[in-house]
Amino acid sequence: MTDTDSILYVGIDLGTSRSAISASNGQRHVVDSYVGWPVDMVARKILKRSVLVGREALENRSMLDLRRPLERGLLKEGSERDAEAVRQLIKHLLALVGVSEDTRADTQVRAVVGVPAEALRVSKQQLRNVVKGLVDGLLIVSEPFSVAYAVDALLHALIIDIGAGTTDLCVMNGRYPTESDQRTLLNAGDWIDEQLFKLTQAHHPDANFSLFMVREWKEKAAFVGKAKAPVVVTAPVKGKPTQLDITEELRTACEGLVPPVAETMIDLIARVDPEYQEKVRGNVVLAGGSSGIAGLDKALQEALKEIGGGRVQAVKDPVFAGCDGGLAIATDADESDWEKLTS
Amino acid sequence: MRKRLLRQVVQENLATIDGRHPAVQRQRRESLRRWLRRALLLAIPGAFLGILVLAGLAAGLHPGWVLGKGGFSGESGAPAQIVPLVKPLPGRGSGREAGDAAISAQRFDAPRPLNRSALPLPVRTVVLDPGHGGHDFGTIGPGGLAEKDVALDIAFRLRNLLADQGFAVLLTRERDDAVALDQRAAFANACAGDLFMSIHVNWIPNRTARGVETYYLGPTDDPFLTTLATTENQDAGYSLSDLKRLLEGIYADIRQDESRLLAEAVNGKLYQSLAISNPRLVDRGVKRAPFIVLVATEMPAVLAEVSCLSNQEEARLLADTGYRQLIARSLFAGIVSYARTQGPRYEKGS
Repeated sequence: MTDTDSILYVGIDLGTSRSAISASNGQRHVVDSYVGWPVDMVARKILKRSVLVGREALENRSMLDLRRPLERGLLKEGSERDAEAVRQLIKHLLALVGVSEDTRADTQVRAVVGVPAEALRVSKQQLRNVVKGLVDGLLIVSEPFSVAYAVDALLHALIIDIGAGTTDLCVMNGRYPTESDQRTLLNAGDWIDEQLFKLTQAHHPDANFSLFMVREWKEKAAFVGKAKAPVVVTAPVKGKPTQLDITEELRTACEGLVPPVAETMIDLIARVDPEYQEKVRGNVVLAGGSSGIAGLDKALQEALKEIGGGRVQAVKDPVFAGCDGGLAIATDADESDWEKLTS
Repeated sequence: MRKRLLRQVVQENLATIDGRHPAVQRQRRESLRRWLRRALLLAIPGAFLGILVLAGLAAGLHPGWVLGKGGFSGESGAPAQIVPLVKPLPGRGSGREAGDAAISAQRFDAPRPLNRSALPLPVRTVVLDPGHGGHDFGTIGPGGLAEKDVALDIAFRLRNLLADQGFAVLLTRERDDAVALDQRAAFANACAGDLFMSIHVNWIPNRTARGVETYYLGPTDDPFLTTLATTENQDAGYSLSDLKRLLEGIYADIRQDESRLLAEAVNGKLYQSLAISNPRLVDRGVKRAPFIVLVATEMPAVLAEVSCLSNQEEARLLADTGYRQLIARSLFAGIVSYARTQGPRYEKGS
């Protein structure tokens, strides 16, 4: 098929916590990266569906075999169920932008999917296998590269993409990043959740709360440095809804992210050609679903003072920056390239 | 620039589809060659032999080329003939350019990636390698605490934890003995270990630095890591005749991937557990370095730097048996976490 009217380009940011899609028909969506199957006939009868995806799956988790199939932004290994969950997730994302089994016959789908900077070759191959039949062409790119592409920071820039499972750092030197240009840290959104959970549990041992609740608290109020207002949440204590002040716990958990990210950022900048280090320091871009921590840009900017100072800017739309970049890559790639990349 | 970048992205993807090493890994080879040149210059007495080896590296140790029969001729001192495995493809380019094109087209072909889940092999035997020993003290903390003693104590504790869960556990040394690195690796290979873990304590020139880090096999461009590897690789016990085998070990892709997964599991657990007792602990991450014990072992292998003796606070903690037990428990949790991904029946050494 060569009729460009029947080609739909999509950029997908497959995230551990949330996945987002941007399509050339103007649609953009984000979903929680959860997939669930009803546990038995009763659950299936109540839910009236064979599989649930996203928030809907999360809200009905008690009736589901719930999967969060992406670990550190990649397909979990060794489980066919998780592979199927990723397939269902991608299918759901495509359906949201109008790709269904009915339209597939008339529309060629070309997808660019972002994966963590240090994704293994084997993992990329697995992803290719999973999307077979869902898209006609697939290009897998490093997630920070697609962010850089979206914000046009391809030269003398450092991208810090903080997701749920990983924090990817990547220096853009005007070439496709190699391993020496990139780092992946496991200190990211999920790591903060775990720290916050432990700290809150230690401070409020009688309170009853789950990791899901902790994640929501963090997403509403995450900060580093000085708190604008006390962070007060509600959780049951011996069954009674009780207000808990978690300001200090949240600060400690979020600030735990700063040293490893700052250290890696400085390390990567120090490896840049000395002639261009100042330019890179002045062009540090913060993106990713977990980058919305208030004050994080300032804290990293403060860390840059150790090597002469610089500027850290958060992208305007951190949730969609990755998939918007993927979409731009998809539309910019040559027709001849897509023909080679048929999945 | 965008066009050029997109071309590179497409090439990278095509390499993955074809099961070829992407450009990134070809660059790894370059960095390995750089490291090897340095290491050989340090390690080999006799400039003449060194020049021969470097000439061999520059011209002949490109993957896809092999040393001729007998490798370096010991008797004559002259290098054996270098034979290409694949003839350069005919083309418009000539000389090296055409040869490189042929190499990228044919010689780097690798087996198609294997889905690891197709081989659910359980972890049964774990080989622990307490770093240093005997006359080799390793690093020494401000209070005189030696790395060799800390590493051995943690290895004993870890052995108990693993044995309780039914793993067969072997130690490369059980006393305060100096054991050459080649012997440690040979021991692990001879025991058919499923996992190899070398236990070390870090020393960082910046005394305020602290943290944990875990290494798996691979070349590095980092001068600090190169120096660290050179230091740790002293007394390796290998000779030039082992060179090709060692090089092949560095590029054993699947084992490298597995080692990385193990390193991530171990480092994650180390950091999570120790940060509670050591709140200012820094997760220095999972890194690649060409430590000889990682190169020469034939199973997934990692080297864990479990704390920093150069930091006064961490040195104080390391002197405490409770903290060393905590380290052992963290390493244990990392091994179990990795083992669970390997096969259904890791628990009782079945």
